[in-house]
Amino acid sequence: MSHDAALNKSKPNWGGGVSPFGISYGKMYMWFFLISDAFTFSGLLSAYGFMRHKYPDVWPNPGDVFTHFPFYDGHIPLAYVGLMTFILIMSSVTMVLAVEAGHRNDRKAVTRWMFWTIVGGLAFVGSQAWEWYHFIVGTEHGAIRNILVDGEWKDTLIHGANLSYNEYGLPVFGDFFFFITGFHGFHVFSGVVINFIIFLNVLNGTYEKRGHYEMVEKVGLYWHFVDLVWVFVFTFFYLL
Amino acid sequence: MSEFNDNYPQYELMAHHSEEEGKIKRRKLWNVFWIMLGITLVELMVGFYNTHFSEIALKVIFIGFTIVKAGYIVLSFMHLGDEVKAFKYAVLVPFIVFIIYLVFIADLGEGTYAKKYRMVMDKNITDKPQHSEHAEAAHE
Repeated sequence: MSHDAALNKSKPNWGGGVSPFGISYGKMYMWFFLISDAFTFSGLLSAYGFMRHKYPDVWPNPGDVFTHFPFYDGHIPLAYVGLMTFILIMSSVTMVLAVEAGHRNDRKAVTRWMFWTIVGGLAFVGSQAWEWYHFIVGTEHGAIRNILVDGEWKDTLIHGANLSYNEYGLPVFGDFFFFITGFHGFHVFSGVVINFIIFLNVLNGTYEKRGHYEMVEKVGLYWHFVDLVWVFVFTFFYLL
Repeated sequence: MSEFNDNYPQYELMAHHSEEEGKIKRRKLWNVFWIMLGITLVELMVGFYNTHFSEIALKVIFIGFTIVKAGYIVLSFMHLGDEVKAFKYAVLVPFIVFIIYLVFIADLGEGTYAKKYRMVMDKNITDKPQHSEHAEAAHE
């Protein structure tokens, strides 16, 4: 890409025939789409921040809510989300290695790294499903909440959380959890599907014939964006 | 494309690099990975012992680390650092300006205001479930 910069210096940018941004239109529009998507996530996260600032006293401490770990009975706060973050960062690295291999027209390496990226994405979606399951089922002892049963407010023993009640604290925490991690999880799922399509194209040699692997780079942008959003969700939802 | 304009550059082909350049690039990418892994581990440790930190300190630590990680992802993994300056600014500036605005207005400004007047604003909600929940949360 340093070539682009050199080219832009040697030619007048606005005289036509050369893009002032020095970037192909496909990549540029992927970036613009990602900006708009980032605005959506920012809106969701700042709505979360608003509610959190409004109810700081009754807001559940995420360290007390997300304590489960597979094959382990005790409680380790945040360990599982840490693992999920690791999985997603790892799959981001394999993605960028696939892009790098694409720049060398190394089809074998692209195939290998795309494969591991898809595996990482599936592992992440699975982890999220597991996390949702534990959040919905809740703890064994549960909690007594004043909830609406058949049109009347009653003190009832409840377990876990759904969109209308939440054993850990304010119900809106559960709503935000389902909405934000759900929206992000759906992005990961779509990313896996798109990656899989591109993976098949790589296997078929479509990009070998085309002479460049820019499609891998474009889906790579989307995949890194999913990782980027998770970094923020991880901070604002689980850590703070 | 070339049949329309012979001078039009093939941006797709420009990103190619040789085997040796690739080695350097890969080393850099793995370095970024180790840095991000280290930051995540530190964050988890701080989160684990979050009672030892003040609320402001936690916010500064976590948000600071998050911005560092986001910077590495965007500039290194997404190669925005390699694009021309005009494009970098076209992507980053609208977003950053809007987000600073949103954080200050929605979270800090409106959020604090809503907390101050929440007994007035959502009286019929706080009268019913929230109070008992608060009491329950304190018991556990």
